[in-house]
Amino acid sequence: MNRRREAVLLALPATIALTVLFLVPMVLILAQAIVQEGLSDFAEFLTDSFYLDVLATTLRVSLVSTILSLLIGYPVAYYMARTSSGFRKVMIVVILFPFLVSAVVRSYGWMVILGTNGLLNQLLMAMGLLSEPAKFINTEGAVVLGMIHLLIPYMILSLVAILQGIDPNVESAADSLGANPFQRFLHVTLPLSLPGIVNGCVLVFTMSMTSYVTPKLLGGSKFRMMATMVVQEVNVNFDYNAATAISYILLAAILVVQVLLGISTQRGMARLGGGRDA
Amino acid sequence: MRNGQVNLFCKTMAVLVMAFLLAPLVVIILASFTPTQVVTFPPKGFSLDWYVNAFKPSNHFVSGLIDSLKVGITATLVDIVLGVTGAICVTRFDFPAKRALLGFFTSPMYVPSVTFAFVLLQIYSQIGGISGFFRVLIGHLVIIMPYIVRNTVSILHTFDWTLEDAAASLGASPIKVATKVTLPLIRPGIVAGAVLAFLYSFDEVALTSLLSTPRFVTLPIRLMNYIELTFDPTLAAVSTLLIVASLAIIILMDKTIGLDMFLK
Repeated sequence: MNRRREAVLLALPATIALTVLFLVPMVLILAQAIVQEGLSDFAEFLTDSFYLDVLATTLRVSLVSTILSLLIGYPVAYYMARTSSGFRKVMIVVILFPFLVSAVVRSYGWMVILGTNGLLNQLLMAMGLLSEPAKFINTEGAVVLGMIHLLIPYMILSLVAILQGIDPNVESAADSLGANPFQRFLHVTLPLSLPGIVNGCVLVFTMSMTSYVTPKLLGGSKFRMMATMVVQEVNVNFDYNAATAISYILLAAILVVQVLLGISTQRGMARLGGGRDA
Repeated sequence: MRNGQVNLFCKTMAVLVMAFLLAPLVVIILASFTPTQVVTFPPKGFSLDWYVNAFKPSNHFVSGLIDSLKVGITATLVDIVLGVTGAICVTRFDFPAKRALLGFFTSPMYVPSVTFAFVLLQIYSQIGGISGFFRVLIGHLVIIMPYIVRNTVSILHTFDWTLEDAAASLGASPIKVATKVTLPLIRPGIVAGAVLAFLYSFDEVALTSLLSTPRFVTLPIRLMNYIELTFDPTLAAVSTLLIVASLAIIILMDKTIGLDMFLK
């Protein structure tokens, strides 16, 4: 068998499957929507304050979750990359473990803790800090908390991958040249770890942009993000035109982030299972 | 700040984040054994009632599990064939379009699953007559494929192709070369990809909630529906069983392919 034929034969199964089941449907439905309705659905989305609010909420939650994940995750990743103790192994297990547990289960855990009759309210009332239950659940804060819980492992793993590749001698050199730990971080460690930061941020940001489970369970029925909005338009409002506009605008937003920042991230995304439901 | 303080700060953050990550899981496990409807601490006694409840046919968790396994295992097995052949193609041979082809094989990763689900939904309504299992299967098949392709590609980058030539020159047929030389050596990458792909399918909610039919409902959707109607510790019991299963998977992966695989 010549090599050319072998290459074509190997490429065929995946190419045919993805073309028929993925590429053609994606293009066909977009084309149909544009032919039938023109761009009016998209225009409606971008001028209606209700939808713009959904988009703004989605962007805000994603941005806040990304920044907090980075700030909290960085020192953890740094410690993981620099320690060789048995604790490192424990950390890998603890970080990978919740990441194998479904988002529904993890959100449910937070519902038990944050609910009106939840453990946090019970604790605060027993301590006399609250006289009646506070509203923790069904708030944007609860969604951000759940999102960080879900996505910080991706951030930490992206950072560790880069940080453990930085030679500790480079940092020692900065020390011996008189840099204090802050200067060393700012001028040596931070710039060298930039690829890991970009990688982790793109992962966390795109996953929270498309998140469905966390906003639905921790945000309550009145809290809307892009993905929950698509499902609501289809299953509750039966408004397919709106659903088309929202889903393609969400796709466009993700592609813009990927193109602007994500060229370096392809590898990390797939290795860690990025793009999963948050 | 001195170096010692930096170290202490990082270590403290690490311990706090570990506690934060485990907290909801610990709470769920404890909640599954409480006798009361509302979870209290300290628990008022011990009971296995919620576990009994979890297996009641009227709650549909067992049938949900079966549907989840059906779709997850089928999608993963089909994708191992599609993904591994595709991955070998783009690493073994040199041709101009190989980067583009790899990009195509991993492209579903960049499309929000809810967008793709909505597209499929419209295709299905135009074609009609597709059973619940196939509606969900096609969706899962596409969105999990990138994980198998990428993990296989990354292990193939370290594979020494001259081993194949050596086997062939010793008289092995192409099939024998593939099954006795190449596949055994790249197995860790395929297994890692397959485990991630299966778990993605097993936990998938957004896509499945648009595509499932009343007769085919996966476990995560059953859990979501249950939360909306009844909020009792039955969910904690089901969740605890899922947590135990995840723990088993992580121990198994550590023993077979090693967890450091995920840090590279």
